[in-house]
Amino acid sequence: MISIQNASKTYKNGTHALSNISLEIKEGEFVYIVGPTGSGKSTLIKLLDGEEVPDSGLVMVAGTNVGKLRHSKVPLYRRNIGVVFQNYRLLPRKTAFENVAYAMEVVDTPKDQLRKRVREVLKLVDVADKSNSFPDQLSGGQQQRVAIARAIANKPKILIADEPTGNLDPKKSDEIIRLLEKINKEEGTTILIVTHDSTIVKHHPKRMIALDSGHIVADLAKGGSIG
Amino acid sequence: MRILRRFGRHIKEGFLGVGRHFGMSVSSSSAVTITLLLVGVLLALTYNLQIATQSIESSISISALVSYDAEDEDHLKRITAELEAIEGISSVTYSSKEDEFNYYVNSNQDEDLREFYENYREDNPFHDAFIIGLDDASLLESVKTKITNIPGIDSVYDGGENTYTLVGVLANVRLFGGALVLALCLLAIYLVYNTIKITISSRKDEIWIMRSVGAKNGYIRAPFLVEGILIGLMGSLVPIALISFLYTYLYRKLEGNLFGAFFLVPPTPFLFYMAGILMAIGVVVGFLGSYISVCKYLRVRR
Repeated sequence: MISIQNASKTYKNGTHALSNISLEIKEGEFVYIVGPTGSGKSTLIKLLDGEEVPDSGLVMVAGTNVGKLRHSKVPLYRRNIGVVFQNYRLLPRKTAFENVAYAMEVVDTPKDQLRKRVREVLKLVDVADKSNSFPDQLSGGQQQRVAIARAIANKPKILIADEPTGNLDPKKSDEIIRLLEKINKEEGTTILIVTHDSTIVKHHPKRMIALDSGHIVADLAKGGSIG
Repeated sequence: MRILRRFGRHIKEGFLGVGRHFGMSVSSSSAVTITLLLVGVLLALTYNLQIATQSIESSISISALVSYDAEDEDHLKRITAELEAIEGISSVTYSSKEDEFNYYVNSNQDEDLREFYENYREDNPFHDAFIIGLDDASLLESVKTKITNIPGIDSVYDGGENTYTLVGVLANVRLFGGALVLALCLLAIYLVYNTIKITISSRKDEIWIMRSVGAKNGYIRAPFLVEGILIGLMGSLVPIALISFLYTYLYRKLEGNLFGAFFLVPPTPFLFYMAGILMAIGVVVGFLGSYISVCKYLRVRR
């Protein structure tokens, strides 16, 4: 599903964000990507969702060479992947319902099908009672859930979550991970979670890829741990 | 069906956008209002000037008097043909010496004087004359020379030195007015473009989020364009209402003329045209302003 071969990325300011990274992720996998700040986690996500282009190497996602996409084609590609951003990135002037609906309107989902699916995903992430609230009326955890609902509404092949538990307390974090596990199991979605929350990694053991200074320093199958 | 549904959605989103960013919408459209108000006032002024100068210019004419020895029909026919062949002449009107005599006599108010003149009817001292209208007052001098050279023309009269001065002044006034309107229109576009740019810049995150959930550029742009058009329309309403009201009021108050010399253009249909022009400027400016700035912000991130 995801295949990265010898990808490197250096930013204009000279930061070597990723050096010669190679990794394979299969369909239906649930993977953690861990590492300290500045280890290249965010750059990895940006390469995967097409926001950045690798300087060298290949990034293939669901059969698309992401680095070679034209600017106008990037949105079309993004319909295959759902991304949950660290700061949620909800449209501020749209309600929870409208935010989720927007991602589906974009792909021309018929109205009744759209309404049904939006209600379904909002219920799945447990914020159905907040559908008519605007983002600034929701708590961090609720916004996070709406962002997840939006990311999975179109049944993407891959769901990438950037620090999905970053701003949440341990109990809420646990709930979010359980939710992602449920999505992984029920919808068969490949899931990539970027985190530096060791508690959730410990409590919900999965394959874990560790990054440090732009290199992969560990790739451990389920249950393994570093340090 | 798909396209229709999409179109409807863009329109709806456009209206929603205006409503949900009401403060921004109002500030953008007030920029449109102020500039269109200026454009409108200037438009009314220059248009009136245009009409006034045109009517003055069209009343500028040359009288060519036929010499006494060329008053027979053959000569008159030849002169008429030669006059009509001159470029820049809009009309040639023949006025016989009897007509000229009558005109002169009747232009006197005094009964006694008129009766006195009647004694000369038999021995009419007037010439047959041609009244020549011009396409363009600036041709006055060259046309006059050409007429003087036609055989059988005794003398040619225009309004003299003053006519030339007036023609020059009018041409300049019109040019200046036109240039001012154009400059102001450009200024309006720039001002509105800037305001809309600010409005949209506050929403560049929004544009990026739309892209990140898979909205194509055209799809993101469409509601912003509807918004721009609406803002332009909203901004043109106040100037249209204000200028219409003021113009009609002034027209009534001055009873249709200025300084007793210039006739004002009647409010209808002039005001309808102006409303149309202002609305069109508003729509075009709103559309262009948002198009340019959305395109710019779409490019900020991949």
